[in-house]
Amino acid sequence: MLVLGIESATAQVGVAIGGHEGVLASAHSSRDRRHAENLTPQIAFVCEQARVEISEISVVAVDVGPGLFTGLRVGIASAMAVAHALGVPMIGVSSLDLGAFAVRHSPKQIAACYDARRGEVFAARYRSVPGGVQRISEPAVWQPDDFAAELLAGGEDVLMVGDGGIRYREVFEPVASVDFAGPGTAHPSARSLVELAHPRALREEFVSPSEIQPLYLRKPDAEINWQTRDNR
Amino acid sequence: MPELILGIETSCDETAAAVVADGHDVRSSVVSSQIDIHARYGGVVPEVASRAHVEMMVPVVAQAMVEAGVEPGDLTAVASTVGPGLIGSLLIGVSTAKSLALVWDRPFVAVNHLEAHLYSAFLEDQDLELPLITLLVSGGHTMLVLMEGHGQYRLLGQTLDDAAGEAYDKVARYLGLGYPGGPAIDALAAEGDPQAIAFPRGMKNDGYDFSFSGLKTSVVNHVRKNPDVDTADVAASFQEAVVDVLITKARRAMAETGARGLCLAGGVAANSSLRQRALDVAAEDGLKAFIPSRSMCTDNAAMVAAAGFHRFGSDGPAALDHGANSSLRLPTLT
Ligand SMILES: [Zn+2]
Repeated sequence: MLVLGIESATAQVGVAIGGHEGVLASAHSSRDRRHAENLTPQIAFVCEQARVEISEISVVAVDVGPGLFTGLRVGIASAMAVAHALGVPMIGVSSLDLGAFAVRHSPKQIAACYDARRGEVFAARYRSVPGGVQRISEPAVWQPDDFAAELLAGGEDVLMVGDGGIRYREVFEPVASVDFAGPGTAHPSARSLVELAHPRALREEFVSPSEIQPLYLRKPDAEINWQTRDNR
Repeated sequence: MPELILGIETSCDETAAAVVADGHDVRSSVVSSQIDIHARYGGVVPEVASRAHVEMMVPVVAQAMVEAGVEPGDLTAVASTVGPGLIGSLLIGVSTAKSLALVWDRPFVAVNHLEAHLYSAFLEDQDLELPLITLLVSGGHTMLVLMEGHGQYRLLGQTLDDAAGEAYDKVARYLGLGYPGGPAIDALAAEGDPQAIAFPRGMKNDGYDFSFSGLKTSVVNHVRKNPDVDTADVAASFQEAVVDVLITKARRAMAETGARGLCLAGGVAANSSLRQRALDVAAEDGLKAFIPSRSMCTDNAAMVAAAGFHRFGSDGPAALDHGANSSLRLPTLT
């Protein structure tokens, strides 16, 4: 069963393809936020490198966020269109799950943390379990200070992964129990996405393209303003 | 075999897909409008629009294909609007179209939204004779274009400040008529006297460019000074001023360029007064007026497929690394 994974939640955009033999080919780029330009050629490229006809793909996995809205939607719209055109089901995976999965062998608690702009981060905590990671806090938007306090209060040794930890290193570094994964795991990867999605695909844990929901975690500003005005 | 193009349009607040044969024969045209979603904000909110596009895009494409009775293998190409428009919205359509093109192994065609509007007239009248003057009036654009041939345009003039549709929205909001402003003012104007108030005709006899911000200010000042004024008279007189300027310039453009006829395009072309006046002046001058049905004036994907048919014919396919451009201009002759 071949899985195509599409990931574009952060400044990076990536595509990977794989199955029971593991990841067969992948492509990632993070220069100049050219998500829409790069994504379709990357799909063609990984199929070619993996020597796979695009029609052989049986499931399309996609990173549903949280992430930077415009880039995130490019990946989701593309993945939905590919799945629809192939007539195959989809699997949605959170960007934070992908971040944690990349460092799943850590004995410490894992904090996946991506830059959400506007002085905030998207974050969730995980612990390592056989075969992957288990989420122990729901994905949420945090002020870095508040998330640092949360980690401190938890009292456990933490491995932080993602570009949120890199950007706000001076906020998290004073929390002595926090260690940082390297820049190689700054972005969720399409390789992780395929690895995570493949066993789920085998268990048929998939949905139709119309059931894929982006995980925004933030309402549009206009809606917030409108609700504030309405409640006055 | 007819050449079938699947067109996709997401530049603003309509999620649309259509199948058109040979650049004019509309086999299906599906438009999912977000007007109701944006109405409470009094205008289109980009982030809200993008979220709705993602949700509606695949179902709209699927419906367009089913209604047309077309299989992917029957398509000649997949065309999508690539600009101008809201960047986040445009990217949904472009990404979808490129993905479909890749999987279905069909060429991808990049379409300019303004050029697509120019083609809306050809969807319903294949006997249009060139050259034509097209008055493109919408919430985002007000331009007078001379179409000399397919893909050959001269931009005669455009608005220097507000677009005509924008003026409608702003005046409607001021008068408390809600959003969108065009249909609201059009309906109310029918009950008022268009000659009641002599609002200014900005730049009426001055070149082909337009200016509507002075008119909008004048409406606001008039209502402020005359709080008891009949709102229907204000709506009718405002509309009269807009239509007078638009039609006067379009008529002069036809005379000065030797055009065979006048086409209306864009959302404001759904305005009943503008439509009637365009028919009247064309008849008086012995020229043809072509006014697309209301559903083809507002944003739709059939016009994108029609323009895509001609673009594909002249330029061939676009590369799959094509992006979107929010400020794309109409390609014009120099
Ligand atoms: Zn338009």
